[in-house]
Amino acid sequence: MYTQDNLAQAIAASLAPQRPLIQRTDGLLIPTRAVSSTDSNGDVFHLFEEKPDLTGLPVIEAGQPIGMINRNIFMQSFARPFHREIYWQKSCIAFMDKAPLIVERDTSIQDLSFKVIAGGEKALADGFIITEQGLYAGVGRAADMLQAVADLQAEKNRLVMESIDYGSVIQNSLGRASRESMRRTLVDHFLIWEPRDVVSGDFYYFHAYADGFLVILFDCTGHGVPGAFMTLIMSAFLQSALNEGDHRDPGALIAAVNRHVKQAMGQIDHSHGEADAEPVSDDGMDAAFCWVDTQQRKLTYAGAHLPLFIRRPDETDVVMVEGDRAGVGYATTPMDQRWRNHEFDLPEGSCVYFFTDGVTDQLGGKKGIAFGKRRIRESLQQNAALPMPEQRSALMQTFNAYQGHHARKDDVAAIGFRI
Amino acid sequence: MQDLYIAPTAETPEVAFLFSEHKLTLQGESYPENAMAFYAPLRASLQSYLAQLSAQHPLEMHFSLKYFNSSSTKLLRSLISLLNDAARDGKQIIAHWYHDPEDDMMMEFGADLQDEFGALHLNVTPYEPA
Repeated sequence: MYTQDNLAQAIAASLAPQRPLIQRTDGLLIPTRAVSSTDSNGDVFHLFEEKPDLTGLPVIEAGQPIGMINRNIFMQSFARPFHREIYWQKSCIAFMDKAPLIVERDTSIQDLSFKVIAGGEKALADGFIITEQGLYAGVGRAADMLQAVADLQAEKNRLVMESIDYGSVIQNSLGRASRESMRRTLVDHFLIWEPRDVVSGDFYYFHAYADGFLVILFDCTGHGVPGAFMTLIMSAFLQSALNEGDHRDPGALIAAVNRHVKQAMGQIDHSHGEADAEPVSDDGMDAAFCWVDTQQRKLTYAGAHLPLFIRRPDETDVVMVEGDRAGVGYATTPMDQRWRNHEFDLPEGSCVYFFTDGVTDQLGGKKGIAFGKRRIRESLQQNAALPMPEQRSALMQTFNAYQGHHARKDDVAAIGFRI
Repeated sequence: MQDLYIAPTAETPEVAFLFSEHKLTLQGESYPENAMAFYAPLRASLQSYLAQLSAQHPLEMHFSLKYFNSSSTKLLRSLISLLNDAARDGKQIIAHWYHDPEDDMMMEFGADLQDEFGALHLNVTPYEPA
């Protein structure tokens, strides 16, 4: 369950830069002597000869940069017959590039990088001249700039990952009470919760009462950070629905959450409004709400696009019960939408399962098609006699093998219990 | 009306809305982070095309999708809802929903669409890619 967190930490650690971060162009400044427009090509030749690592030589006039002499171009020109004789005494501006890239020292690294890229190969090869209030200050190398950009990028990634990592700590804490209550109440059960990207749009709720327990699995639109936002919102609305309503009536609880979401987020049907209206969210969830009366041994299930799988000891088949088609909270779901309750007797030893569509819709296999409900059923059928944790392992083994080299598409979550 | 072609990416399907031939195709996978940003322009152009489509010209629409996330689902429904409305208004529209013969999820989704959009002639067709 925590492998995603560990991975994120490892990535963040590997991305942490070893050098101080450079934010502005002056961090790249290399003080370099410049020549004046009154200096001759002979002077330039001597300078290049003395300093073999000098790739470019800035030319200034009254303190301001007016051009850049590229070593290779200069030396090649000078090597031509008679050029040395003709140009030796003349002003060095003859061979200079009259439009080098010139940037002020307080330019941000991001702005600088756009300028260097816009300058094309020349700026990448020759670098750029750095000025202070228009006066020559030194030069900068494109390679140093690329290093600075890469370091900044890595630092930003690290900050984002740290932030999401901490988000995952919060999300995990929110589930702790449910997980502990599940452990105390259900002798034989499993919970699968695998966020695709550290935090998840799938979530769960469990609460034990004197006469039974309420178990809920829900899948909010999206994954990652927006999905996780939605799980927090839904958890809050679920709590209000429970405070006001009857925990023995799952259908009514879903309807109450639907009303809360639509009211709070203003999600009413805009599809017939103007096309250019302000973008509004249209997010909601699929969910399975399930009340188990442990005294009467009865299960009441209401589903919003999230089916129930049930296998009772007197039956050989795993039965799948589709919930209602309406999602919870969406603009297109009416405010007064109702969800049907389905009731089942639970003879001792009955197994009950819920899966989010991250399981059913995962692509894989030879053809790269969805895992589907049939494969879930087959796995449950084959392993029904095993304790729940072993059923979980068998199912996930099948699932991971099916997924193979295909990327995980969505968050994955499931709950199973024997009662 | 100008044809609309959008090349496929890893997260978005190929869009070939050949309005000039009255043949529109959507194929591939759809799981963009911001599905609304991708589908809003498709919806807008389909809407204006349908508004000017005459009842004499039959329109063929082909959906050949392998995977779509939940936000894409809603927006696909909204495209199909436009087709359904136009069909109800008497326009000749034939839509095809293709699925791999073994892909029960896509087949079910197609069947759900048939139930939901009664005015639209929608074929749910098992299709073995070449």
